[in-house]
Formats: sequence, structure tokens, C-alpha cells
Amino acid sequence: MESSVAQVKVNFTTTHEDLQLPETKRQLLVPADIKRYGLSRILNSESMLNTASPIPLDFLVNGTFLRTTLEEYLKTEGLSSETTITLQYVRSLLPPTYETSF
Amino acid sequence: ETHLADDQGGSPLRDFSEAMQLWSDFQNKTHPLSLSLTSQLRLILTPSQSTKLSGSFRTGKRLNIKKIIPYIASSYKRDKIWMRRAVPTKRSYQILLCVDDSRSMGETASGTLALESLVMVSRALAMLEVGQVGVLGFGADVFTAHHLADPFAAHDAGARVLQRFRFDQDRTDVALLLRRTIDAFRDARARNPAASAASAAGVDLWQLALVLSDGLTPSSAHDAIRRLLREAMEERIMVVFIVMDDSQHRKGDSVLDLKEARFVKDAEGNSQVVIERYLDTFPFQYYLIVHNLEDLPNALAGLLRTWFAEVNS
Ligand SMILES: [Mg+2]
Repeated sequence: MESSVAQVKVNFTTTHEDLQLPETKRQLLVPADIKRYGLSRILNSESMLNTASPIPLDFLVNGTFLRTTLEEYLKTEGLSSETTITLQYVRSLLPPTYETSF
Repeated sequence: ETHLADDQGGSPLRDFSEAMQLWSDFQNKTHPLSLSLTSQLRLILTPSQSTKLSGSFRTGKRLNIKKIIPYIASSYKRDKIWMRRAVPTKRSYQILLCVDDSRSMGETASGTLALESLVMVSRALAMLEVGQVGVLGFGADVFTAHHLADPFAAHDAGARVLQRFRFDQDRTDVALLLRRTIDAFRDARARNPAASAASAAGVDLWQLALVLSDGLTPSSAHDAIRRLLREAMEERIMVVFIVMDDSQHRKGDSVLDLKEARFVKDAEGNSQVVIERYLDTFPFQYYLIVHNLEDLPNALAGLLRTWFAEVNS
């Protein structure tokens, strides 16, 4: 069969009262090769948090900051793209850096 | 020969006595639903009366208007001007129940719901005795859990099917499932003893695939799936997708609400975030979403009724 770009189902959570998503928006399919920056862009988009100005976000997965693609994370953990990943988003404390695409 | 992997290798099987117990538990639980589905499907799958009037006869139910002028022109000699209710052709079915064996099914209650549905539907079909019933499992690969040619009524047949499902496949390749389903039906049509004598005996062979899955398959495969569904339709194979959506226990986690995010380049070449409803690109024309097992008999019967009405119109 032709190759297909993998998708991963994520479940967004946060402890920031002002950055809560409605229940129906917490589950989302995202490209498996996505990293922190792409996820931050998605959450800042109109359909999600719809922030007035972008809020850089970091993502915690199982208590550690996501530094790789979701695909790489799953691979190191011995998981498959069938697994729903719970991502806790927090305001980024790092100074913004220039990144290309995601 | 069959193209389907039929090895008992790969994943170890579930314990047989455990599978027997599971089958009888599901059978007891779903028995009234199986009966309800059987009685509804009997009306849909085995019509006892044809609704169409056709043919040219000397006597009949209704005049065929197109025959009147030739009738007069022939000085009333060409008098086969009546139509009759045609005797319905006997139908024979080959039905494949395709169960999603991928890990996503095991992570939620969708897997259990799919197995309960499998037991309920397969027993209803066995009671109907309308033809052959087979079971496929799919995920990263496709396997045969029960051959179309083997009888399903045997007491342990169901348990042997349940033994094969472990919900531990690492991908959900629905395109591959459709490829193998079309191949299996092509093969089964050629092998079906009824099919060779079918036209002579007035038996009509129908092929139907029911897919039981949580519906999650990569969106990038949706176009390939659409092409395969067209191919299936050309071969007169009907494919019904039954989405197992056990969302009652998990708030906000229904496939109905599920969205997907993509990055799309705009006219200036900048990447933009696009968020769409997952089901908006879902390629199956005939699909149902089942939240509770109790919904399935009516929903499935309703969908098949609609489909037969479309085919017969
Ligand atoms: Mg899956």
C-alpha cells in the first residue's frame, strides 16, 4: 500500500485556569512528526485557544518536557501511534527562539 | 488459493476455555438483540415478494402501455401486453465481518464493544441461514479468523474466532483491509458452489462486508480508501463501516467531536494551521456510529434497508 503520514491522537490538559480548552477540543489528531513549536501553534490557533497574541507553550509528557517529535517520543517509549498521548501544556519559561516550521 | 494470511503464528492465541467463556457470556448478553436483528434482516435480505411488475404475458396484473400500439397495429395478434409481479430471485450471501484488532481498540472499551457486536451479528446471520459468514481481523496486517466456506454454527467456531483478537496491532491500515476484502470476495465468488450454477438456478449472490472499528485510520489514507471503495462497488461488494464509539464513559472523547490538525501552505507559502472535523473526510458512504450495543440492530437494519432500496430503484 502507499505510505501514509502517521497521525497521533493527543489529549491536551493544563493547570492554567485561563488557558482551559472546552471538553470537545481536548482530543485532537496531529501529524506524528510534530514538535513543541507545531503544537504551540495549534493551541494558539483560532479554532483552539484563540489567543489575542501568541502565548509560547511548552508540553509535558509523563512529567518531562517534550523535546523531540511525538513519533520519536513514542519510539523511545516503545509505544505505537495507536496510543493516545496526554500532553500537559504550560506557559513557556524559555526565551522565544527562532524555529523553522515545526 | 486465498491471499489472506492464515497462520496461527504471530501473536499467541487467547486461551481457548477463556474464549469459550467469553463467547457464551456475550451470547447470553446479546441474545435478545440477535433475535431482533434476525427478524429485521429476514425482511430485508430475503424478500418473499418482488415489488416490481415486469415481463410480457397474455394475462397479468397491469397493462404494459408500451405494448398497446404494437398490439393494435398487429390486429390484436401481439397480445402479450400484461405485466406480472416477478417471482423474486433467491438470494445467497457471502458476508465478511471485519474486526479492528489494532491497539487503539484495546486502549478504550471499543474493543469489547466490537467483540460483543461480532457475537451478536454473527449469531443473527447464522440463525438467518442466508449464506456464508467469514471473519477477518485487521490492523497493520489482515488475518482470517473464520473462513467463509466453514460453517459458523459449530459450537466452538465462535470461540476460535475470539481467540484471535488481542488488540495489539501497531497500525490501523483500512486501505489494506479493503484490498484484502475485495481479493477475498473475488476468490470466494469463483469458489462458491452456488455461484457457478447461480444464473441457471436463479440464485443471486450478494457480497457484504461489515467493518467493526473505532474509525481511526490516518487521514492521508482516505483518498486511497475512496478509490478502493469505488473498486468494491464496481464488483458489487457492499461495505458498511460500523464505528464503535464508546464515548459514554469518556466525556468529550467521541469520534463525532474529534478534530484533526494539519499544516497547509497558503498562497504566500506560509504554513497555516487548519483544524477540521475528522469525520468530514471519512471516506465511507455507508457508515453508522454505535454508542451502545442496543442501538446496533435497528441502525444496521435501517442502513441495509436504505441500501437495498437504492440498489433496487
Ligand atoms: Mg486503531
